[in-house]
Amino acid sequence: MTMAACRVGIDVGGTFTDFVLVNTETGNLTFFKEPSVPSDPSASVERGLPKLVEKAGVTPADVEYIIHGTTLGLNAIIQRRGAKVAMVVTRGFRDLLEIGRSRMPDSYDQRASKEESLVPRDLVFELDARVGAEGDILAQPSEADLDRLAEDLAATGCAAVAVVLLNSYLHPEIERQVTEGLRRRLPEVILTGSSGIWPEIREYERSLIAVLNAYVNPLMDSYFTKLKTRLETVGVRGQIYITASNGGTLSLATANDRPIETLLSGPASGVTAAQFIAARSGQDRVITFDMGGTSSDMAVCKGSEPESTTRTHIADFPLVMPVVNVSAIGAGGGSIVWVDKYGVLKVGPESAGADPGPVCYGRGGTRPTVTDCYVATGLIDPSRFLGGRMQLDRDAALAALAELAPRLGMATGTDIAEAALRVATALMTTELRKSMAQRGEDPRDFAIMPFGGAGPTHANMLAEDAGIRRMLVPTIPGTFCAMGATRANVKRDYVRSLRHTITSPSESDVLLEAALNELREKGAEWISGEGSGLGTPLISASADMRYAGQAFDLPVPIDTSAPVRASDLCEGFHRAHEALYGFRDEDSGIEIVTLRSRIEARLPEWDVASLPSTAAAAPRTRRLVRFGSKDLDVPVYDRPMLAPGQVLHGPAVLEQEDTTTWVLPDWSVRVHENGTLILEAENA
Amino acid sequence: MSFDPITLEILSSKIAASAEEMSFTLQRTGRTLFVKETADFQTGIADLSGRFFAYPREIGVSNYMGLDLSPVIRAVPDMEPGDVIITNHPYISEGLATHLPDLHMVRPYFHDDKIVAYGWCFIHCSDVGGKVPSSISPSNDSLYQEGLLIPPTKIVKAGKINEEFMWSFRVNSRSPDENTGDVKAMLAALTTGQHRVRDLIAQHGIDDFMAVQEALQDYSARRAREVLRRIPDGRYEFWDYLDDDYNSALPVRIRVRMDVEDGIVSLDYAGTDPQVSSAYNVPTGNKEHPWLTLRLISFVLTYDKTIPINAGLYRPMHPKAPKGSILNPEAPAAVGVRHATATRVTDTVTGVLTLAAPELMKAPSGGVTVPVVLSEPDPETGGRKTLVVEPMVGGSGGMADKDGVDGRDSGLANLGNNPAESVEASSRVRLLRYGLRVDSAGAGRHRGGCGQELVFQALTDDCQVLGRGMERFRFAPWGIQGGRPGALFEVHVTRADGRTETIGKIDVLVLNEGDIVTMLSPGGGGYGDPFTRDPALVTLDVQRGLVTRGAAEAQYGVAIADDGKVDAAATAALRAVERPAPSQFEFCDDRRAWDAIFDDALMCEFVTLLGTLPQARRIETRRKVLETVTGGVPRAGSVGILDSVGDLDAARARFKQAVSELRAALSPKAQETAA
Repeated sequence: MTMAACRVGIDVGGTFTDFVLVNTETGNLTFFKEPSVPSDPSASVERGLPKLVEKAGVTPADVEYIIHGTTLGLNAIIQRRGAKVAMVVTRGFRDLLEIGRSRMPDSYDQRASKEESLVPRDLVFELDARVGAEGDILAQPSEADLDRLAEDLAATGCAAVAVVLLNSYLHPEIERQVTEGLRRRLPEVILTGSSGIWPEIREYERSLIAVLNAYVNPLMDSYFTKLKTRLETVGVRGQIYITASNGGTLSLATANDRPIETLLSGPASGVTAAQFIAARSGQDRVITFDMGGTSSDMAVCKGSEPESTTRTHIADFPLVMPVVNVSAIGAGGGSIVWVDKYGVLKVGPESAGADPGPVCYGRGGTRPTVTDCYVATGLIDPSRFLGGRMQLDRDAALAALAELAPRLGMATGTDIAEAALRVATALMTTELRKSMAQRGEDPRDFAIMPFGGAGPTHANMLAEDAGIRRMLVPTIPGTFCAMGATRANVKRDYVRSLRHTITSPSESDVLLEAALNELREKGAEWISGEGSGLGTPLISASADMRYAGQAFDLPVPIDTSAPVRASDLCEGFHRAHEALYGFRDEDSGIEIVTLRSRIEARLPEWDVASLPSTAAAAPRTRRLVRFGSKDLDVPVYDRPMLAPGQVLHGPAVLEQEDTTTWVLPDWSVRVHENGTLILEAENA
Repeated sequence: MSFDPITLEILSSKIAASAEEMSFTLQRTGRTLFVKETADFQTGIADLSGRFFAYPREIGVSNYMGLDLSPVIRAVPDMEPGDVIITNHPYISEGLATHLPDLHMVRPYFHDDKIVAYGWCFIHCSDVGGKVPSSISPSNDSLYQEGLLIPPTKIVKAGKINEEFMWSFRVNSRSPDENTGDVKAMLAALTTGQHRVRDLIAQHGIDDFMAVQEALQDYSARRAREVLRRIPDGRYEFWDYLDDDYNSALPVRIRVRMDVEDGIVSLDYAGTDPQVSSAYNVPTGNKEHPWLTLRLISFVLTYDKTIPINAGLYRPMHPKAPKGSILNPEAPAAVGVRHATATRVTDTVTGVLTLAAPELMKAPSGGVTVPVVLSEPDPETGGRKTLVVEPMVGGSGGMADKDGVDGRDSGLANLGNNPAESVEASSRVRLLRYGLRVDSAGAGRHRGGCGQELVFQALTDDCQVLGRGMERFRFAPWGIQGGRPGALFEVHVTRADGRTETIGKIDVLVLNEGDIVTMLSPGGGGYGDPFTRDPALVTLDVQRGLVTRGAAEAQYGVAIADDGKVDAAATAALRAVERPAPSQFEFCDDRRAWDAIFDDALMCEFVTLLGTLPQARRIETRRKVLETVTGGVPRAGSVGILDSVGDLDAARARFKQAVSELRAALSPKAQETAA
């Protein structure tokens, strides 16, 4: 064994824990999957890591950085397994979480309930602490008030407390004093102040950030401690980072203080990986397509950044912090194929999940799924699933599908399988198109990059239906999120609600510069504590702006290389408004509602290795695939044997350990030198 | 199934998505609050007869998929490619537009020189002129006061904007730029629809595209009927009231008779009061209008959540409203606040459905949607600035198996609220409390949801507060299956000098610096006898501060000891006390008093008799009779009916007398004599 500089990405999922090891000197990737242990999520890390290191031919001591993603926090929220949290609010606002934004989750369903609050009303305490709309202090609690409040809180037995005072985004001091005062009095309780974590206007959204942070904090704290111990046990001494929802990563200490930033990191890491591979393959507009067991997700990358959003959800709750914009678009491999009472063929939304799973898994599943359709149509070889480690039962899949035949007036299980795949594809297409329409984009201007176990099997059908003419399949789609973790930059977002109307540009310049500097300094101070070996920090900034009196804002980028000028921002805003609405309103006042900044620094750079050049591979075998109402005789290739630059023409099936890629008739495949498959439509 | 079921499923999702993409375009490119925040807009694609086969599920206004474009299509027979028609006329469009701020547009979609579908969208725009800013005032008594009337007109002709129309349109509005922005967003949405229709035809062929339009509606109709079969066959009758018509204190009755046979449901609104001389009329075009079946549609979509949304849903439903009634007014009756009436129509249908299938129903919700509007002096412009403090709704109703939702009600619009911090940032008021209203829920085995409490203080003089659509000050949301009514709406003011006033229903309330207004919205009705509610649940409500101990004892018969736990012995004693047997509908005092005076059969006859009078005399005759019978109806929210009228039996006799006099006066013989 030789010394090597290595980095490991780990993604703990519900069924498997995925590992990717990057040799940052050679760019070689090694991946490994270890079954997850739901009751003790760090156990699979301890078990799998030595096997990964061994497979890569390095030692634990060679691992410089571990970048880890976990869905623990998210699952705790979905399953309501978080801490007992109490909340302290300004008098008069006890029902902040009960009323929320007042909308019911469903406009039609008369039996709908609202989301179950994470803090029941009897754990919400009002306090005479109030800041006015100009940041003026209207009421300030005394030490005696805090003594009483601390007693009440202690009596509830809560593990964490969120403090949310009205208008604290303008004047955070009182909220900070209350938070600190309570922390001194309740040393065992974890305290989160809303403006300390995210000082943005809108009390409901800000209170959710504080509450969610408090809710997962104790759980994440104990998990991180355990993880650290386990990594030490297996001899890994490298720096530990935790992936974040914004596509970046955070030191263990930051993640421990602000676990809310990590909740949606899993899908974000996949998009980070896609952005990287797309850039290395010369593609700058990509729709990612992550198809898993229960559902499929998509996201958009344009240029060097995955698209982010400040309007998303965590479980039932809106989240306004910037995160990679991932949307669900329909069926997964486990989605059930069924017939309604009117004889219409349906796919999902019910899923067979991991247990019992598809019929062909032979684990007790009786209702056919999308995966059964892949097996039935011949897209997946039942004897080579997961590199042959799992034998699938094609006859069982066909029989289960055939049971639907009489009600559909169709002859065989294969016919139904093909029809069901068409239905599933149409559902995905519609959701994808809608999702793109919300962004004001046309999917035909993008390439698609599938990952996840089933992504490459389904993506070409989706691409064709949605009018997408190019598709990129990365080399290790099955452990793509873990790979993305190794590419994540240390990254954090800052916000400041400004509510500033530009009247005198020179005065605004001073105010803006001061506000931006404050954000910059906060960021610089933070990133200096995020570990060694980081590159020079980069700062970007933007302003959310509107015409005075308008109901919504448009983001305007700020050039951070020079002193900020309000007049430039105004011009930027006029232009953005003109681009979207076709006119500018020179007479109207312009308001800067919110300033945002992002600081990021790279871990040491690495790049993917090129494939060694080999002779073009021939098909390993041929088999029949049902597609377009015909049985096609299709060549089957071992993907790892394909040579860089090799070109194939569909129909073709390309098999590898973690997935099968289906190439449609009239599509070509070219193997990029980094191993990525590039599919293109050949018809006009 | 006549249509290939695989293609049906595939086209079903693609077609619905096309309508949704139109909506996303509209929302993304729209600029006003109505579009961005409250989503008061919609898009759709209609077949050649003007019925929607594609309608969004997840975005925009949820109840317009039964609208009928055919009057507009008939009115403009010479549609060409690239034309777009606009209208807001409630009567010429036969209830496509239901009030003037709703701008509707229709664009024919052509394929090979033939129309193959119609794109449609509507938006609630900021202002179309008329008496008041935003164009809606409950006090309007004629359509002509409500703003610019636009008959079906080509706003775009062969792809070119009709600039002369745009000029008229702009000069007739207080907010021409916002309106122009809305129009552009609407046109963009219609263009998106055109592109999607073209793509669908290219991918699936014109034959399938044409055939699926009917197949989808047929499929939805069959699924809707299947849900409606859960309502037992039979005839059911019920009525509910608006507190008043705003311009007078007279209550307005909405009456319905539902006949159900094997999933076919007829709603006959005969017996409903005549149209009113204020803006509460609902223009339904003398046809089977979707606003008459709102509650049936939500019933269907509650029990089958995945039916494709299209006009087929309405096929098993047959509503009918008498001409000249508040639910089918004749021009030029004003219509601006028709949603307040439609909300009560929904409650009335809740009543007949409760009679038929109580286990499938929930008690009525608070029954209000009130944007609390603030108009304050604007020192910068010297004019006034207007904004919504919060849209208030009540709690929702209790159900057979669970409580109603506290402080939320999807109602007709499912509006979002405004953050207190945003309100304070953009106005001169301070919010002192915005939360749930204690002890407001209708008690029940499953209680209603609590109403809301909104308390705010003016920080400057001359702030005007308006509460359009305020209701349920007199007639509370009733309870069902023994559940109790929710609390009434209340408005109180504490002046800066400490004086307090109970305001009742607001017309325009003026606040000066330091004055504090408290608004309390109704709770939802309860479901089931509250004395059978699990004492542990009552205790939890007390612990959470939603029900006081006093109310726990009085309304639920649950005694709570000093340690906060149930006092089992005391509770048993409270619950053992003899009480009147709970009835299927539990009404508030005013409702019982009013019903005692105005017998249903006589009321129906009275309304029929009024209907034979010329329109002009109906309102006056009705007012005279009601005032004579009651000795003057008190303003809603002031004195109770019983206190005001005194002897109910005597009043009942007076009504009987008045009807027989009217009958005699209108008899053919009397008419002859008069002639």
